[in-house]
Amino acid sequence: MREADSVDVTEDITRFYQPELARVIAKQRLSEMMVMLRLQRASGEMLEHQPGQFLQISLPGYGEAPISFCSSPTRTESFELCVAAVGNLSEAMHELRPGDFVGIRGPYGKGFPLEDLRGRDVLCIAGGIGLAPLRSLINYVADRRAEFGRMILVYGARKPSERLFKDDLANWDAREDFETLYTVDEADEGWTGRTGVATVPLRDEVEIDPTRTTASVVGPPVMYRYVAAELLAKGMAEDDILFSLERRFKCGMGKCGHCQLNDLYVCQDGPVFRYTQLIGRSEAIEVWAPEDERQ
Amino acid sequence: MAAELLMTPYAMDRFMGRLIAEGPVMGPRDRRVQPGFVKFEWLSSADELVLEYTTTTIPPKKAFFPPRQPLFEFELSEPPTITAVQEATPFTLVGVHPCDLAGLSMLDDAYAREPAEACWPAARARARVIGVDCLPDEYCFCFAMNTCNSREGADLFLTPIARGYLVEVLTEAGEEMLRLSDVEDAEDEDRSQAQAFRRDKGNRLSASIDASPEEFAEILETQELGELWREIAGRCYSCGSCNTTCPTCFCFDINDEFDLGLTGGQRVRTWDSCQLQEFALVAGGHNFRRIRWQRVRHRWHRKFLYLYRTFGRPYCTGCGRCSRACTADINIVDVSNEVIARARGRV
Repeated sequence: MREADSVDVTEDITRFYQPELARVIAKQRLSEMMVMLRLQRASGEMLEHQPGQFLQISLPGYGEAPISFCSSPTRTESFELCVAAVGNLSEAMHELRPGDFVGIRGPYGKGFPLEDLRGRDVLCIAGGIGLAPLRSLINYVADRRAEFGRMILVYGARKPSERLFKDDLANWDAREDFETLYTVDEADEGWTGRTGVATVPLRDEVEIDPTRTTASVVGPPVMYRYVAAELLAKGMAEDDILFSLERRFKCGMGKCGHCQLNDLYVCQDGPVFRYTQLIGRSEAIEVWAPEDERQ
Repeated sequence: MAAELLMTPYAMDRFMGRLIAEGPVMGPRDRRVQPGFVKFEWLSSADELVLEYTTTTIPPKKAFFPPRQPLFEFELSEPPTITAVQEATPFTLVGVHPCDLAGLSMLDDAYAREPAEACWPAARARARVIGVDCLPDEYCFCFAMNTCNSREGADLFLTPIARGYLVEVLTEAGEEMLRLSDVEDAEDEDRSQAQAFRRDKGNRLSASIDASPEEFAEILETQELGELWREIAGRCYSCGSCNTTCPTCFCFDINDEFDLGLTGGQRVRTWDSCQLQEFALVAGGHNFRRIRWQRVRHRWHRKFLYLYRTFGRPYCTGCGRCSRACTADINIVDVSNEVIARARGRV
């Protein structure tokens, strides 16, 4: 067989899949399950991201996973990701030390629409580790406080020991210009705050002007429908309710199919959606009743 | 009208021999241990090529999107090094049926949608494609999917006739390829035999979808057919064979594989299947298509509703591979027509 001529491959055809290197510059344990990694691109260049966007982070040999940014883009020298130890990759990431390298691709997806939020009251509702992506937005508001109206945070964690970003929570709570309502499902001996799910303080204690308010909601799927009901009961329009959805993105560019939500690709069309976009789409936030679980 | 030429069986044999001598050629040939079953494979000699075949189990998309494809190699040095795996050798893909030409074209569109994927078009750019016309079996419904006369992406297209093959020259690359061949001018009789072949093909196609693509999409969009999906899912094993044999499925997974030395390895892209339960699993164990009927419905919605709306045609070529491959005898034509019949029965 004659040696075939090569096609001139001037562009790198696997560039979409190839990570660039980033370095761990700090690691902080947030809870038994969660660590926060502070990272910097190996190139030293800034990584421009929007609150609500995500990054593909990888360790060669362990694989790659999507993680939302938990730092605000106003803090430009580095960026932060929160990693829950749930599998081989994330457990290996828990073992990382400052100076270690990771692979990154991104940022990907549509984040919180900052231009639409500017000038409005910002109501954030976080459940569990949903606080991580919202921290990016909340600290953005904190750093550009004059550009936004009221800043209200309702945060529910399962247990006091699972609360994330305790320093941030205390800082936000201490600010005159932040309204914070924290709750836990199960109190322990040291807990003096609210107990119960986040929808209770949202219903009973939060008064808003629904025409001036945009709600940003991140939490476990089961939370969305209940939070949506409370927000609608307060007179909010569906278009002013933002949900950030989590899916297991493999590519981040609307091809691999893993994040399909009916006809949408969460990695491209989201992960932050207006509630209006999700109404009528059965694979967005529906929770299937037990009688439906028969197969 | 593209130029039409005649290639005799003898000339075809010589042409394929020269193509194979020039560079890699993939085409339909008998499975070595299972003659009569044809698969797309690299050809080592012209006599391996089987140009008249009904279908293959795996569609020719695998020439451009292999079931397992290394994306890059890594070494666990400090810092880790990453080296792209780039295939650059041109090749020829021979013996592609019209429905499969349409399938390749659908994947061109799917992967080109912004942000465009780059591996697929790079592999397509390396290849010349020679199509060939075929006669259907009882699973084929390419007429209903409007792919039975597709020439999309083909450089040359062959139609079997008495004197050999009528050759349609469709591109400059196709014309260039013919420098390796001994073609003659076609005569009117050759052309009318090719027309007769196409008529015969159309007449043999009995399976059909009972609604237009638009009406079918509207039915899927507006009708809640949970009971029907549950009935079909009651027979489905969620094996994913319908996905792996589909010429328009393009979902994939990405995983890392270590070398045996554990100092390096590869990141590998593999075909994936939306019928497998873990496909739509998300963090915290949540799964929006955990139940089988949701996954079965998703497959129909994706082919005939979502991608139809995005790209303007159903993402089904009518090749019938999923029906042939289904161990539970779930037939895509029968199910689609049952959906249509029930929806119409309600109105």
